[in-house]
Amino acid sequence: MSSTAEAAAAPATLSVPSARAWRGLPSLALAIVAVLVASSFAPTSGYILNMVMQAATYAIGVAGLVVVLGYCGQISLAQAAFFGLGAYGVGIGATDYGLPFLVALLIGVGVATGFGIALGLASLRLGGHYLAMVTISFQQIVTLVLTNWIGLTHGPDGIKSIPRPSFPGLHLDRGDHYLALCLVVLMVVTWYAWRLKTSRLGRAMQAVRDNEIAASTCGIDVFRTKVLAFGISALLGGLGGGLFAGAFAYISPDQFAFGESIVLLTMALLGGVQSPFGALLGTTLLVLLPEWLRFLKNIYLAVYGAAVILIMVFLPDGLWGLVTNRLRRATPIEGTVPPLPLLSQRASASGEPALEIAGLAKHFGGLKALDGVDLTVRRGAVHALIGPNGSGKTTFINVATGLYRPTAGRIRLAGQDLTAAAPHERTRRGLARTFQNIRVFRGMTVLENVMIGAERPGNDIAEQPAAVVGRALAALDFVGLRGDANRLVGTLSYGHQRYVEIARALAGNPHVLLLDEPAAGLNMTEKGELGALLRRLKGHGLTILIVDHDMNLVEQVADHITVLNFGRRIADGSPRDVLSDPDVIAAYLGEPRENALA
Amino acid sequence: MPLLEIADLRARYGAADVLKGLSLTVAEGEIVALLGSNGAGKSTTLRSISGLVPNLSGSLVFDGRSLIGLKPEAIVRLGIAHVPEGRRVFPGLTVRENILLGGSNRRGVPRRQLERETDDMFNFFPDLRRLEHALGWTLSGGQLQMVAVARGMMAKPRMLLLDEPSLGLAPLIVQQVFRIIASIRELGTTVLLVEQNAHMALSVADRGYVLETGSLLVSGKPDELWSNPEVRAAYLGGLAGGTGATAEAERAQP
Amino acid sequence: MLELVPQLLFTGLGIGAIYALVALGFVLLIRAANVVNFAQGEFSMLGAYMMVVLLSILGLPYFVAIPLAVVGMAAFGILFAGATYWPLRHRGQLPVIISTIGASIFLSNIVLATYGPSPEVLPGLFDSPGLEIGGVFMDSQYLAIIVITALLVLLQFLIFEKTLLGKKLQATSQDKEMASLLGIPVAVMVLITFGYSAALGGIAGVLVAPILFVSVGMGALISLKAFAANIIGGFGNIPGAILGGLALGVVETFGAAFISVPYKDAIAFALLLLFLLIRPQGLFGEKISEKA
Repeated sequence: MSSTAEAAAAPATLSVPSARAWRGLPSLALAIVAVLVASSFAPTSGYILNMVMQAATYAIGVAGLVVVLGYCGQISLAQAAFFGLGAYGVGIGATDYGLPFLVALLIGVGVATGFGIALGLASLRLGGHYLAMVTISFQQIVTLVLTNWIGLTHGPDGIKSIPRPSFPGLHLDRGDHYLALCLVVLMVVTWYAWRLKTSRLGRAMQAVRDNEIAASTCGIDVFRTKVLAFGISALLGGLGGGLFAGAFAYISPDQFAFGESIVLLTMALLGGVQSPFGALLGTTLLVLLPEWLRFLKNIYLAVYGAAVILIMVFLPDGLWGLVTNRLRRATPIEGTVPPLPLLSQRASASGEPALEIAGLAKHFGGLKALDGVDLTVRRGAVHALIGPNGSGKTTFINVATGLYRPTAGRIRLAGQDLTAAAPHERTRRGLARTFQNIRVFRGMTVLENVMIGAERPGNDIAEQPAAVVGRALAALDFVGLRGDANRLVGTLSYGHQRYVEIARALAGNPHVLLLDEPAAGLNMTEKGELGALLRRLKGHGLTILIVDHDMNLVEQVADHITVLNFGRRIADGSPRDVLSDPDVIAAYLGEPRENALA
Repeated sequence: MPLLEIADLRARYGAADVLKGLSLTVAEGEIVALLGSNGAGKSTTLRSISGLVPNLSGSLVFDGRSLIGLKPEAIVRLGIAHVPEGRRVFPGLTVRENILLGGSNRRGVPRRQLERETDDMFNFFPDLRRLEHALGWTLSGGQLQMVAVARGMMAKPRMLLLDEPSLGLAPLIVQQVFRIIASIRELGTTVLLVEQNAHMALSVADRGYVLETGSLLVSGKPDELWSNPEVRAAYLGGLAGGTGATAEAERAQP
Repeated sequence: MLELVPQLLFTGLGIGAIYALVALGFVLLIRAANVVNFAQGEFSMLGAYMMVVLLSILGLPYFVAIPLAVVGMAAFGILFAGATYWPLRHRGQLPVIISTIGASIFLSNIVLATYGPSPEVLPGLFDSPGLEIGGVFMDSQYLAIIVITALLVLLQFLIFEKTLLGKKLQATSQDKEMASLLGIPVAVMVLITFGYSAALGGIAGVLVAPILFVSVGMGALISLKAFAANIIGGFGNIPGAILGGLALGVVETFGAAFISVPYKDAIAFALLLLFLLIRPQGLFGEKISEKA
């Protein structure tokens, strides 16, 4: 483990995610120029043109699935419905109401986004399969309304003669020109989705996907993040659909039915739902596939269904994932990042209460896991909470960080009452924690994990991307993992994943750090390192509440010890007093009290 | 020949080595206690014996047969019953049904006989009789532990693995559980017991092993272990005559 | 209008019984294997087509064909598990959901390619059209559906509550690892559940076929009704699925009579959304437990 001083002296090089706003813009410009040149060779009409047009507009919708499913991990089986809302917005607006194409497109996209946000709101209470069913129901209702609200939608006959946008000099009524427009939009959307992944919001989405509980204790508003993911996804769906309506001039309800949602989903999964490039690849392949599978004739769709199963079984990360997984290395890193001071809220042991907990109770049915516990952590102190297995320590931490609602009692952080606050609000006020069973964001790199900690709302540098990286690196330096910054966190050893969790908490510059059994599962060497790390943290004046079994560790670092047994506080005081308390010894050894000192 | 012989056993969970070359033996008719702090690998040892840990290497021999690679269903048929940590009583089944299912490993035994043995079990655990038709989720911790042990005994095991039977129980109930463990041995069943509660465990055990982070620290008879300072230190850290001096010394540093 | 109520109630219970059967199979898979099977309705579709083959093509008598179809569907359920669930069982819920969606597309299109889009006709169980009791005309097929569903529910109750196999199935669905520690062959239990679930779906398809015609599209429709029934009754709740199915059938029938026929299916989805948003635990749902 390297010390801060050593690491600061060694100039570090790192590829800095999201620190540069213009990142990728040159490539985007290049791609757009290439697309414009290429589309000038495109036929002005005909089958090939239609196919490319379909691929381009679908791919925009599929990019939406990358955001909601790939980044945020929320299943949506209604992407065709959003696509259809955009298309009908354009169709109805531009045809029946004679609105300019762009205005109609805006309306369609707006309606789709609105419904997307509404679906996201449903995710407040529902996850997984529930959400899948909500989206299916929504999809079915959209199809039924499109089919039956004949006055507005023309019913099953669909809408014909949808105009294309007209800009002076651009001749968008020409097929090749309109295709160029679609491709340019696609490029911009792909660039945006790619950028999103390494942005603060994108990281929040991935954190929600990988571990909702850890995300909330990192200050991420899980609900808001999901709603945004659904909103962005629906927006892209509507945008693709609107362009689709202009491309084909004719739309009908069956083009946006449940089956099409599955097609869009399959495109995303085949290509690789983690990346907009994968989505692009998948969409292109599946638009071309009918051509290649023409010989299959009427069993084409059956093969399609079988392909979905095979993709799930054999290509969990899609084609793009297959390629990038092969190429993935701990890439050498460019650029120099100035080290940032890690803990700006250095406090001396002032003795004033940092975290005050009074009368805390948590009952699970008849079980009193916590039964009126009082505990005060003083600023700058290392406070240990110990007790035998099942004594209520982890429940205590979970109630303190807001994962459980207390049955009774008060929780105050720096004088502010947090008893009713959501976990992410507590983190915003400066409470940070680690977990007994490690909760890292497995799909992300070590650096990204720690950046999420640095980005916690309420942190002084949360709004400055470059400083976030700097702070994250400083935190990694502190735990000695800077060299592993670009590795996927899942490839680290258990002990090092624990350090990533600690670094993630430290990067958020917390007022109070809660460590839930940090020594659990560590070997002797790692425990020794952890002890040294905790002593250094203590040296920096960080306020810490540590829960652990390991008495050696606790003895090394604690200024104050509270002991729980059967959900009650049985001792509280200085280590010297508590560790010689016969009740405590009896609780630990299970000895009858009179034997304890024998 | 010992009934169970473990040599150089290694187990991995993900990236972590949980057992690092553990060796121990259990003779027929013994009660052997596995002690050690949290994360020492005690539960993993029991789970390895029962076939719940996939990546094992080393040797794990029960009654002359290697258990490595066998499924849990096959291992319990050889006569090893596991009463896991947390009791794991089926919440939606009644006490009687839970106990009855303990006999699932004995193929070909007719249901009527299993029902009769379940009745016998209520003689052994008289407190459970009035709870016969109560659903699992309605029971208290002590009752759950009784049901879990009774269910394990229904397998007619040659060896019973008990994981943390005293966890979360009030002291009086803990004593009751340990009286039962002692009486199980009277029936001729070998017991391998994992416990945090060192005092209770060593009060019934013939021998004990103390683990630390996946390997053996020390083994011996209860009184040897009890008086071994290393054991007390591993278990108690600063509690055994320690002081907060180290912590205070640390605070003086920047 | 009011005099229609008993008649609508009867018809609604008949349709609801079908939903209940499919929902029952659906819930059993959720409980035994944590699988949300989006191809549940395809089991009904396949069961109905199997009957078409056995009756019309092989010319077997009805009461020979039915047991054959049930056994065939049970075998198919095990095959289905092997393809869509087994390889993905350690990868969480989402991959399995998507693979069952793939299976649903695969199955419906294989059948479509074989039989074409025009619906097949299956005769009813009885020749007589039905009987009238107290002003309510009881169509013989609806009557058969209600009676057979009641018998199947009773049979399932007896299996689950009275037999050792039933206890083992329940134990497996409650705690797989513990079940395996007791020597219960967990994989076999899960496969039995798949087989049983497919057989239930198949029976539902056979029973409903004379009313709805046998078509490829019937699977998707029935699937969605089963989901709705399951949510209304409480996710993963067995009595809830049965009552949810019955309730859905009744509400839908009344909706079609009093509100609008084209939006009949929308009523089910609207009800589903309503429950999901306002009472996601359903009518009989267990309280979702707190867990960190």
